[in-house]
Amino acid sequence: MNLAHIDDLDAIEMPEGFTWRPVRRRFGIRAFGTNAYTPGANGQVVEEHTESQLGHEELYLVLRGRVRFTIDGNDHELGPGQLVFVRDPSLKRVGVALTDDAAVLAVGGKPGQAHEISAWEYSFAASPHMQAGRWDDATRVLREGLEAKPGDPAMLYNLACVEARAGKPDEALDHLVAAADANERFREYAQTDEDFASIRDDPRFPR
Amino acid sequence: MSSGYEILSLDEAEAAQHRGSTLIPIRHLLGFEPAGINAWRADTGGQLIPPHEEDSGNEELYAVVRGRARFTVGEEEAEVPAGTLVFVPPEAFRTAVAAEDGTIVFVVGGSAGEAFDAGGWDSFALADTYRQAGRLDEAKAILGQLITEKPGNWAVHYNAGCLESLAGDADAAIEHLRRAKELDADGVSAQYFREDSDLDNIRDDPRFQELLA
Repeated sequence: MNLAHIDDLDAIEMPEGFTWRPVRRRFGIRAFGTNAYTPGANGQVVEEHTESQLGHEELYLVLRGRVRFTIDGNDHELGPGQLVFVRDPSLKRVGVALTDDAAVLAVGGKPGQAHEISAWEYSFAASPHMQAGRWDDATRVLREGLEAKPGDPAMLYNLACVEARAGKPDEALDHLVAAADANERFREYAQTDEDFASIRDDPRFPR
Repeated sequence: MSSGYEILSLDEAEAAQHRGSTLIPIRHLLGFEPAGINAWRADTGGQLIPPHEEDSGNEELYAVVRGRARFTVGEEEAEVPAGTLVFVPPEAFRTAVAAEDGTIVFVVGGSAGEAFDAGGWDSFALADTYRQAGRLDEAKAILGQLITEKPGNWAVHYNAGCLESLAGDADAAIEHLRRAKELDADGVSAQYFREDSDLDNIRDDPRFQELLA
């Protein structure tokens, strides 16, 4: 039987302060987006964000412990068996653990569209490798992501970061230029990102 | 359903009876669109998930929210505590029984590569539960909503016909069933018309006999 307890899922501590427990990736689910979250360093369970970019409806179910959700500025303390459905993708939402054992299952997708695996899943999955300097592993995960989502600017940017750190300036510059051309935001980020210290003086560096 | 977000407590939500199980029709109650979402609730020994395969092609993820559940998937059995996730591919047989009082299993389903399109079985289960409880206005409101959302879907009209038949309104039942038959280009409904006990109240009506012809 293909099963896992939430405590046995991978625990990927994100720099933002929450712990990502990949569910969709663990089971190879293709039909919808789903992940679990437990508290990280700053007690967040659900990262503060909106779904404006993806247009996803999202539902957060408390599986264990207590969580204080703040949705569109309103606080709601929820316990096991309680859920919040955020229909409007533009609403800011965040969940903070009120107990150490808190666990939340999130389900999301865009109404009327077949589910596409979100690019952020690959960037999240590459994150611990990047933090630990495991450049080969980070590259493998991001290349897998770019195969699934060709040309995704955020993954191209992250791949460029990894390659710059790993001492592969030519690859890094190719991918950074592609990311900056696809989305101006990444051209701006690149100007101050320490990851690019080794290639910033190169004439090919995007300005 | 116009507000930007909504809180739902599975303990307090409306529940429906469906194939010997107690269903919390989350998708229906919230109007969630990207996937099918429901929960099942039972006390020790009670059936949580009605035995089935997903002929719809849906992948399903089950999450034990509270208590303990004994799952059967294919030939395998496992009794698992709250916090356990179980993934079941469409073709696998699955069922689950509660191993503790107040057990709740949450489920998400959808088909890979396809936009989710709710068939409405969960809405109909709630409508039928309302009907059995004598809450006919609420039952009819759900069917009315389904017909508005899916005007060309024969099964929705057929289910509305069943509900009206059971509720004793032969005129309304015949009207819905006539529409169902018109829409059912492949004639899939003929067998249901012949055999469904939900229609026994109107079986002797000459107008129903015409629909059988």
